[in-house]
Amino acid sequence: MRKYAALVWSVALNSFLEGARSRFFTMFAVFAFTAVYASVLAGVMAVDQEERLLGDFGLLLTELTTLAYLLFNASSSLLREAETKTIYLVFSRPVPRWAYLAGKLAGALLTGAMMLLLMGAIHLSLLYFRGFGLPPFYGWALAGIFLKLCVIVSFAFFVSLFSTSAVSTLVISAIMWTLGHFAAEARFLAEEAAGFKGLLLGLLINLVPNLQLFNARDAAGAAAALPASVLLPAAAWTLACYLAGLWLLSRKEF
Amino acid sequence: MRSRGYGLPAAALLCWAAGAWAGASYRAPFPPPSEMRAPLDGAGGDMLALALGARRAFADLWFVRLLQYYGRREVSEVSDQPGHETHRHRVDEHGHVHCDHGANYGKGDYPRFLPMARHVLEVDPSFTAACLYGAGSLAFNMERPAEAEELLNYGLKYSPKEWKYLTVLAAIGYSKAQDPAAVAEAIKPLLREPDCPVMLKQLAAFLNKRAGNYAAAAAIYADILATSRDEFYLRNAERELRKLARGPGARP
Repeated sequence: MRKYAALVWSVALNSFLEGARSRFFTMFAVFAFTAVYASVLAGVMAVDQEERLLGDFGLLLTELTTLAYLLFNASSSLLREAETKTIYLVFSRPVPRWAYLAGKLAGALLTGAMMLLLMGAIHLSLLYFRGFGLPPFYGWALAGIFLKLCVIVSFAFFVSLFSTSAVSTLVISAIMWTLGHFAAEARFLAEEAAGFKGLLLGLLINLVPNLQLFNARDAAGAAAALPASVLLPAAAWTLACYLAGLWLLSRKEF
Repeated sequence: MRSRGYGLPAAALLCWAAGAWAGASYRAPFPPPSEMRAPLDGAGGDMLALALGARRAFADLWFVRLLQYYGRREVSEVSDQPGHETHRHRVDEHGHVHCDHGANYGKGDYPRFLPMARHVLEVDPSFTAACLYGAGSLAFNMERPAEAEELLNYGLKYSPKEWKYLTVLAAIGYSKAQDPAAVAEAIKPLLREPDCPVMLKQLAAFLNKRAGNYAAAAAIYADILATSRDEFYLRNAERELRKLARGPGARP
């Protein structure tokens, strides 16, 4: 067991270092810093609500930038390794496919966690320089963002294993991410719709992960703290995508 | 591992179903889409707010738009005298010029104020400060208490335990009964709250000053100076504090 854990860790570490050294990572980090800094302008316009606006926009931009980088990473990582034949090198060693995929996913999530922490630190320092303290819901918001990323990144890895290009993976994952935020509204529409339509819509909703469950950033005023119960759907959806991805990977000839 | 069977996809489906089942009981704390009355020029923004899961950020933007709309003067109120640039001076029947330092600040029709303020709450009903600001402006600046009550009641629908809304509702009731001292007393507990709009603080200070509670008025003006970032209210608070320091009733 320890041997397999070490294998997963080596793949994850390799994937993490590769991601962190990538020039795209630097580019995304610079963009995030600029965007967060630019939100100061909007904050000034909100006069006495500057603290709230700076907090909200900083978190939103942090989430969007991390999401964009991780989707880019997840959609191109396996494809690139297949194209450069690196994957053959890995599988010529005693590395099981499940450990390889788990390591790739863990590496991407590790990169995401580092990006969140880095951008969170930049954001908090900006708030500090503007004379504001730590928003009370900040930790929950970051935790919620990370759970959302777990689900959507594992989904992107799954899609990348059957899609023909990185762009299509990106687009499909971004659509899923958007639909995930509409889940509550879709459920409302399903409850309003009567008969077969309502039933059908109710069933279709279950095909989309409800990302609003983890959206502590958005529900900060209403219910900032994430209940422990949200860990179950996050783990279940991530694992489902991982298993489906593993199935596709196991059918590929390398 | 070379799986040609269907064990893995079956396990994946089971996991997905477990996730869907675990999240099925979740109900969003937000108004349903049927309640969102987005103005035509804001429908795209509302779609983004829902799609990005960014209701708070977009409610902030709507609030900025509300501030900009309300900050635009419906009548020109300018003077070229230094220190009086932001307001117009009143001329009485004898031709004497009087300065009341923008006591009419915020007055006007602003017909889109209520729909815009309500829309902020439709996007994010937990935005207490926006509701208080909107209701206070409608009730005490624009003298439209019915609209202020409508806004507060909408806020109460999603935050039924929000005592601040009930406090402003009570203050509006006293205001309708022409009891300014009771209005000042009613909104007093709100003033200590971090999300109390500066406009309500200004109103409380003004009412206290009028009722002869100069110490209370000075304390509120000092609080405005310490906490607000709004230039208009800061300048006004400075001026009022100077006047109060010179003694009540002193001319500017």
